[in-house]
Amino acid sequence: MSLQIRLARMLHILSAFWTVALAVLVFADVVGRGMFSSPVPGTKEILQNSVVTIAFLQFPLAVYSGSMLRTPILLEALPYRGRQILRAVGGLLGFAVLASLVWATWPSFLQGYAIGEYEGEGSLRVITWPVRGAIAVMGAFAAYAYLVMIYLDFKGVLLEEAEAPGAMTRQPADQAQ
Amino acid sequence: MGGDIVLYMLALLIIMIIGGVHIAIALAACSAIGVWLMLGSFEVAISILSNTAYEAVRKDVFAVIPLFVLMGDVIWRSGAAGDLYRICDRALRRLPGRLAIATIAGNTVFAAVTGVSIAAAAAFSRIAYPEMKALGYSRSFALGAVAGSACLGMLIPPSVLLIVWAILTEMSVGALFLAGIVPGMMLAGLFAAYVIVAAIMKPELAPAYTAPLVEATPEETRSEIIGGLGILALVLVVIGGIWTGVFTPTEAAGFGALAAMLLGYVKGMRRAAFVETLFQAARTTAPIMLLLITAQMYSRLLALGGGVNYIQGLFLGADLSPFMVIALMVVIWLLLGMLIDSVSIILLTVPIFVPIAVALGYDPLAFAIFGILVIEAGLLTPPFGLLVFTVRGAVPDPSATLSMIFRGAFPYVLLIMLAAFLVLFIPSLATWLPAVAL
Repeated sequence: MSLQIRLARMLHILSAFWTVALAVLVFADVVGRGMFSSPVPGTKEILQNSVVTIAFLQFPLAVYSGSMLRTPILLEALPYRGRQILRAVGGLLGFAVLASLVWATWPSFLQGYAIGEYEGEGSLRVITWPVRGAIAVMGAFAAYAYLVMIYLDFKGVLLEEAEAPGAMTRQPADQAQ
Repeated sequence: MGGDIVLYMLALLIIMIIGGVHIAIALAACSAIGVWLMLGSFEVAISILSNTAYEAVRKDVFAVIPLFVLMGDVIWRSGAAGDLYRICDRALRRLPGRLAIATIAGNTVFAAVTGVSIAAAAAFSRIAYPEMKALGYSRSFALGAVAGSACLGMLIPPSVLLIVWAILTEMSVGALFLAGIVPGMMLAGLFAAYVIVAAIMKPELAPAYTAPLVEATPEETRSEIIGGLGILALVLVVIGGIWTGVFTPTEAAGFGALAAMLLGYVKGMRRAAFVETLFQAARTTAPIMLLLITAQMYSRLLALGGGVNYIQGLFLGADLSPFMVIALMVVIWLLLGMLIDSVSIILLTVPIFVPIAVALGYDPLAFAIFGILVIEAGLLTPPFGLLVFTVRGAVPDPSATLSMIFRGAFPYVLLIMLAAFLVLFIPSLATWLPAVAL
């Protein structure tokens, strides 16, 4: 398993645990409000900033694992070489979109960092420039992942023509019941 | 001018999607190109990408999607769904076609704790199908019951489709959840009625058999009690909490996810199983969240070009009767159902269809349930039928073919369409519960 895929998997698992942490946060907020009349300050702000960040942290592995939603209808009708070319075109488009996203997000990240952009008030201010930073960095990682996928596709090593080797744990079919 | 560009971009979008471009990427690319053409500025076009990426899902209500998916996946992997199935089997022993009905009943309850129908289809493919096959049920009949009843997962809350629909139309997630309950129960009733009639008319489809699947040994009873009570408690927390207004949907999702993990622990899940479940749940969630983000770029393009009004004008100006307009939408939904998944269909069509339906005088809640039913029917029809492929991939029987599943599921497609039009013509099926409860 190559380093980039190991990194994408780590980010993916990190964000999965982060989701559980959000559940705990919601629980603490409700219990705190209901039983001790003291909700966890900033819950709403933490939740909304986390949701964006989690989505982008999971972006690279979504590309490597072939989980991005798409339709196979035309691909299935083409010969192997045609499928590779069509997937490469789609991958280049993915790269272009994400490169534009990073290009446009980077200045707002730098600016947010410079002015210490935050939201919320009082005791718990949630700084928001890390969210912009995550979008920029993960956008760049996902853009790179699209290029890597094209390379792997032409090398002919993608599993089921969709997944970079090692991106998912291959579970035996009967493990989940 | 703006309207023309929107139409060109819709055409480009369809071409890209058919060409197999990732739908999220296609939406973002067409939105950026459309804005660029409309405003003549590349800088503005890509700044819309950046702003939307940052703003689109920055609301706490979006946390319900990862949390509900996590809840459903934990319960699926905990084995509680199997307990549920055996309880239903024990309770329904006297009915003809009881294993198929137990599948439907199990799915109805399971639907109340999962947000995606794929989880239900995968779970019951492994739990219910082998039992039906062992008792000599027709394979097509058994597979159809598994695939068809999995559709209940999207109608009975919590449901990712209901959440996405509510968010796009700025409706209350809680109200839409409650709106799905009565139509969901009605659909389950229609499914069960079909099974009973089919089993009586053609007994060879589902041979009668009255012994329970598993003898009630003490361990079995203990397992069933834990699984059954656990799921019941989750249903009470999630749906009861939203119904009584104790919880917002976000809070119910947070509680539900934690309670499901507790149930998973009691049912014997340990660290490795939890990590695997978290990993897989996130894998389901990430593409949906990314689609939600880029779909809002597309909504912005539609709004910017006056595109919604333009397309609305095309629909309403064509001198069609309201019913013809609805019929046209159904055709578009079913065609799209052959190409793409249901979340993508909702993201593409709802921003355009809902204003038209409301202008025609349809109730937004009833129209939402109608739309979700029609889109769900698309999951059971060839060639893309996502649920059919899921069942095919999950059943432990290599001899089960896709066409066998499509054939077995067809009666369910008809019943789903029947339910859809019942809700459209009797809107109180959807609107009554939210009106009483909220």
